[in-house]
Amino acid sequence: MSEALLDIKDLTIEFGSGSQPLRVVDNISFAVSLGETVGIVGESGSGKSMTALSVLRLVPEAARVSGQIIFEGRDLLKLPKREMPAIRGKEIGMIFQEPMSSLNPLMTIGDQIDEAIRLHEDIPAPERRKRVLALLRLVGMPDPENRLSAYPDQFSGGMRQRVMAAIAMACNPKLLIADEPTTALDVTIQAQVLAMMLDIRARFNSSILLITHDLGVVAEICERVVVMYAGRILEDADARSLFSNARHPYTQGLLRSVPTLNDTRKRLYQIPGSVPPAGTIKAGCPFRPRCSVRMERCAVEMPPLRTYDPGHRVACWATAEAAA
Amino acid sequence: MTDARLSDFPVDDLISREALADERGLGDVVRQVIFGRISTQVAFFVVVVFIVVAILAPWIAPYDPVRQSILQINKHPSWDHWLGTDQFGRDVLSRMIHGSRNSLIFGLLSPVFAAFFGTILGVSAGYFGGIVDRLISRIVDMLMAFPELLLAILIAAALGGSFWNIVVVLTVAFTPGFARVARASTLAVKQEPYIEAAVAAGVSTPLIIFRHIVPNIAAPIVVLMTLWSASSIRIEATLSFLGIGTQPPNPSWGNIIRDGLSNMFATQWPIVAGGLAITIVVLAISILGDSVRDVLDPETAR
Repeated sequence: MSEALLDIKDLTIEFGSGSQPLRVVDNISFAVSLGETVGIVGESGSGKSMTALSVLRLVPEAARVSGQIIFEGRDLLKLPKREMPAIRGKEIGMIFQEPMSSLNPLMTIGDQIDEAIRLHEDIPAPERRKRVLALLRLVGMPDPENRLSAYPDQFSGGMRQRVMAAIAMACNPKLLIADEPTTALDVTIQAQVLAMMLDIRARFNSSILLITHDLGVVAEICERVVVMYAGRILEDADARSLFSNARHPYTQGLLRSVPTLNDTRKRLYQIPGSVPPAGTIKAGCPFRPRCSVRMERCAVEMPPLRTYDPGHRVACWATAEAAA
Repeated sequence: MTDARLSDFPVDDLISREALADERGLGDVVRQVIFGRISTQVAFFVVVVFIVVAILAPWIAPYDPVRQSILQINKHPSWDHWLGTDQFGRDVLSRMIHGSRNSLIFGLLSPVFAAFFGTILGVSAGYFGGIVDRLISRIVDMLMAFPELLLAILIAAALGGSFWNIVVVLTVAFTPGFARVARASTLAVKQEPYIEAAVAAGVSTPLIIFRHIVPNIAAPIVVLMTLWSASSIRIEATLSFLGIGTQPPNPSWGNIIRDGLSNMFATQWPIVAGGLAITIVVLAISILGDSVRDVLDPETAR
């Protein structure tokens, strides 16, 4: 593994105060290397979006964030607040889940992309205009010259997501965080947006941190996958070995519940139960109530992430026992 | 790492002229407002006529508005006095024309000032929240607890009834309304994903407020402004009516009605003229306000 661009260490995010704070992210560590695409998968409430937001220090002010988020050798959590705007958009770009409402309805898309450039780079207007056109072309906007003065409501969701991507890429960031970029889009548009992201990565060699609950999306573009559940990392592996050799019972369950084309099953597999609300798991493995291979030890102690093959970490007592 | 630079990415240097010309400037907005619906055109025409009349008052008024004449009291309309004369024999039309100056200035000045200060207060309260919000909101609540007329009377009684005092009075009376609307709208807009997206793009707080929040709460503020400019004319009339607004013998629509009311059995024309003028201007400004709101919103503008 090459040098880490983003290194998250012991990240914990808690809401509320007093003796019983709600832990939405519990002591997670993972890294994103230069040029690598890492996917964070998990159900709703697994803490994946919070993790993404915390990198840009966008978590709500009520939250307490501890640990380290090291980006290019600097701990972002220790930076003074006023230095964050210089990182947001310039070093780290972000694409959001709701393309329909992530653009200012009163500004033309040309102005909005232009703003993203002007914030971080001191270049004259004609140069910026060229860059805006280049960005729109990069994200696959047809006929960009005539779209500059269009307002967001004139675009479909997929087109708006392209504009969002253009804004995120405006200053050529080293890391692109995409928080469920395809969730609100229909399937064909999803494919186009994914193709666009692959294209961006190929051209700029940017690292991408992709937050999603869609394993298909992960299989499509990610090199490494982090599986989160109830604020914890359960499995962290490269995409190939995750899909061929998932070791955590949760990941196995997720993969079994994906329908395939030559499926003969009458009913799709589902993992029984649902994600426990944040803060209800006091001790042990959060997945234990839904786990088919649970052991007594799981109720007492959270299994640590253990490395099996190189680059394949799993947090499960049953897996550990089977391997022993 | 990032070897490819955006500047390497092929771009045709041609930027189409049409694209540049297509942008909607302030001029286009104004044009869209004026040449929108028929009702808007009429309203715009009416407001313009009243403003022109106010500006040209000394030149177009047929008589001196304060000159009295015992021989000419309580005349009904005639070719000499189109709107008749009042109990002091003053020409009502001339008084109406001169009075439009006071009434329109009050009607337009105070709401604009109040919108300015109210928006600053409201947006600060809504955006920053916490102690700033609590402080501003409580002061606003306190001012709101007074009916604006009562507040206006209170301040006018304390400071006296000079021109600028009345402007200040009305501004103070209207500011809380704007502050409250601005705060509520800011709270709503602040939750929009595009604000979070702007923060994520590295936009600084002042820019977020001026480029992303203020334009998006402008519509209700503008509507409120037209609404209050109507009320402002009305309240100035009331203050004058109560004797603390425009001081006699200077005319304003309000004190024309007041003088007319005590004399209404002799001649009804001052009341009719004053009342109609206020109604027409207030209606025209409200229609304009609606139209401005529609044009400001790109979704309804097309």
